[in-house]
Amino acid sequence: MQLDVFQALADPTRRRIVETLLLGEQQVADVVAKAGIHQSGVSRHLRILHDCGFVSMRPDGQRRFYALRPAPFRQLDGWLTPYRELWEARLDRFGAALEERSKQRRAKEAKEGKKRS
Amino acid sequence: MNAQEKAQRGTLVIERSYRANIGDVWDLWTTKDGFESWWGPQGFRVEVSELNARVGGALCYEMIADTPEMIAAMKQMGAPVSHPTNSRFTELEPRERLVITNVIDFIPGVTPYESQIAVDFKVQGPQVRMVVTLDALHSDQMSQMQREGFTSQLTKLDARFGSAAQT
Repeated sequence: MQLDVFQALADPTRRRIVETLLLGEQQVADVVAKAGIHQSGVSRHLRILHDCGFVSMRPDGQRRFYALRPAPFRQLDGWLTPYRELWEARLDRFGAALEERSKQRRAKEAKEGKKRS
Repeated sequence: MNAQEKAQRGTLVIERSYRANIGDVWDLWTTKDGFESWWGPQGFRVEVSELNARVGGALCYEMIADTPEMIAAMKQMGAPVSHPTNSRFTELEPRERLVITNVIDFIPGVTPYESQIAVDFKVQGPQVRMVVTLDALHSDQMSQMQREGFTSQLTKLDARFGSAAQT
């Protein structure tokens, strides 16, 4: 079964591999060294990340180089965009309501201050 | 929530700073008229029926389509123009932090689950910094949007990125 992008990144080892690949294209041995994960595990996780479209593989003779691909990251961002926009708009209204509330409180305090004096 | 759960849930963090009194900021979250004055979302207004700002206290409100465009859009989708939301304050430290927990129990075929909105407040000189941490993909709004037709939009998005991934 192919995992979706969220399931793919739900695994902490795969997140570590992705973070390591942010440094640029690398061989499995480099990923193993930098991410501190056992070779057999890395191969399995790289295959899953490859199947989900997160990484590309470039063979060069006996060697295989892995790199990140942008598409799933755009998909993650696309998922979050409507929600982020909804909350940005909501917090704009929060700011406006806050300003109104502060104004009313200051007016009330000024009125009470006048009464006392 | 641990890091794995956060990634799974698609946690979103939004920060804002306001030049304001912390008491006013806090009241917008924890009083009936304060909450009603801004919650929304765009095109909706809320009517709070119960707000009990203590740990375990209820936050119940009706979300009502409020513009002619939104009312028409809801009707076109066959969705009701208003729907009730039942939440609870599950953490509350006055003027420092609050957590609102929603139970998402209205999606047919989906086991009920909880979604949280955590808000941290910090006074920094004349400003109040507010950090809102959200379960973006497991939220009432997102679930509502999915139920009301946004799913088709996102499926289109999936198809687009899916095809891009194969090139």
